[in-house]
Amino acid sequence: MYPLRCVLLLLVLGLPLAAHAGPAFDATPERSTDGGFALSWEADGAVALEQASGPDHADARIIYTGHDASTVISGLPDGEYRFRLRASDADDWSDTATVRVEHHSLARAFGFFVLGGGVFLVLIVAILRGRPRG
Amino acid sequence: MNGLDAPILPTPVAWGLLIAFSILWVALGWWLGRHNRSAEDHMLAGRNVGMALATATAMATWVTANTTMTAPQLALQLGVWGMLGYSLGALGLILFAPLARRIRELMPRGFTSGDFIRLRYGTFTWRVFLVVSLIYAFGWLVSMAMAGGVLINALAGIDYRVGMTVILTVCVVYTLLGGLRAVIGTDFIQTVIIIAGAAFIAWLTIDRVGFEAIHFNLMEERPELLNLLFPAAIMFLFNNLLFGVGEIFHSNVWWSRAFAFGRNVGFRAYLLGGLLWLPIPIVAGFIALATPALGINVPAADMVGPLVAAEVLGLTGAIVVFIVVFAALASSLDSLLAATSDLVTRDIYRGHIRPQASEQNQFRATKVIVVLLGLLTWLAASYRGELPIIGSLAELLYFTGAFVASAIWPIVAGLYWRRANPRGAAWSMILGSGIGLASYFLIGFYVAALVGAAVSLAVMVLSTWLAPRPFDWDRLARDDVQPKGSPA
Repeated sequence: MYPLRCVLLLLVLGLPLAAHAGPAFDATPERSTDGGFALSWEADGAVALEQASGPDHADARIIYTGHDASTVISGLPDGEYRFRLRASDADDWSDTATVRVEHHSLARAFGFFVLGGGVFLVLIVAILRGRPRG
Repeated sequence: MNGLDAPILPTPVAWGLLIAFSILWVALGWWLGRHNRSAEDHMLAGRNVGMALATATAMATWVTANTTMTAPQLALQLGVWGMLGYSLGALGLILFAPLARRIRELMPRGFTSGDFIRLRYGTFTWRVFLVVSLIYAFGWLVSMAMAGGVLINALAGIDYRVGMTVILTVCVVYTLLGGLRAVIGTDFIQTVIIIAGAAFIAWLTIDRVGFEAIHFNLMEERPELLNLLFPAAIMFLFNNLLFGVGEIFHSNVWWSRAFAFGRNVGFRAYLLGGLLWLPIPIVAGFIALATPALGINVPAADMVGPLVAAEVLGLTGAIVVFIVVFAALASSLDSLLAATSDLVTRDIYRGHIRPQASEQNQFRATKVIVVLLGLLTWLAASYRGELPIIGSLAELLYFTGAFVASAIWPIVAGLYWRRANPRGAAWSMILGSGIGLASYFLIGFYVAALVGAAVSLAVMVLSTWLAPRPFDWDRLARDDVQPKGSPA
């Protein structure tokens, strides 16, 4: 009788777990400074990936449906973006992954641009002024 | 939306192409290298490469996995500026033209970039340079092996490790058989394939998708990619330019060619090679901007090029992309294997381990080192996505940016400034690499080379100004085949 009890116990404990084993995100980035990041997830079959910019998911749209387990997002302007997943044949959504996009300031960007331009100009001058041998 | 779950190229077709081109490259390697008898033949192709082959090898070697696969990745991540910024890498080749002439004049019997640093600056700077150069060479080798695996996986669904192993093995075998002569000979054929294939893909993409659809969908879904004031992309522009300059100025891939090209060939070959290369990243990168219009899912950023091309162009396109990228990969992987094995043979084996090694010993050592490099590359590329800096092609490549950009100034000052300070040269590489790496982790991959080059310039100028050390240029010609600076 002991093995039978064990099997029954496993079934009772395992059923609720199986019922909630939908797709779930792997570790997601919290912040992006270039408007891009990668999302990856664990899922048994095809998934639908939804993107929204507000907490109420009012402007939500499905950005991917299929069997891939990751996607690359890029080119997003400043803002907070929310992503969630569901199996393509189910209605339950996964937990939401939130990523904040906060681009570098233009002052910082042009600072690096000017620094790079300066180094490049010095390089050109150094090569052009380089004296031939002798 | 399509993704990896629907590979375009049937597996038997992919294996057929892989086997056919593998046989072609290996057979050419054997045929071109069959008269090699000495280390000089093997390493420098007899020092008499003519204009056509020289231009082709300059251009084909610089069209790498990074051009055909990372340019689309950067267009996907940094938009229009990412694509245009990548094409500024051509300036590395163009600016190396006068350097190649000067190198050939100063060191008519030189073998490696390490030879120059050893003679010009002494042992300490030479060792720092070898560390910088080998980190870069290894990073580049791994990134190209990864690109081979990614390409085959994206187009045909063949396991990443299997594809990577096959491509790496083919390149090791034909480099082993033919040395630099085989590398340059196959580069010529690969250049023709790359130019014709890239033009074909660009024409078909524009014809089938159209500018209007691409623009509309980008504005809807990824608007920053079209923003000319995209901050990260603005930071990236000069970073990429300086990264390309650093890669070419310091790497033995380009120095070995400067030594191998006939007299008066280097300047024209590098200039023309750079001009021919300029449009290639724009053509290769542009197709990534069609991703939203086509509704393609990109599972990993470095897969975007082959995925889009295969989606737009169907089976024929997938075959063309496969052949073009395989040619680009092979032309760079073989060059780097050959040049890095030369550097290790001359500067580590002969310079540090066996200073009295005979010509035949070096010839044999070069071949053993090619195999060892291949094995190490295979091992590192097997960990793609599992280690932090081996995450994607661009991340790995730009990690090396801090190292190579910090070597620009020791090379330029060494060739043109009579009073450049040797210790300053070493510290410009150490501090440039260190601070450049810090910026890689603290700010982003798109500033590491820029910061490395700026710090290196400041150290080089300051040290030379405060403690000038006059140098006799004639020493380079007198001593260039004697390892006098070696520790033995």
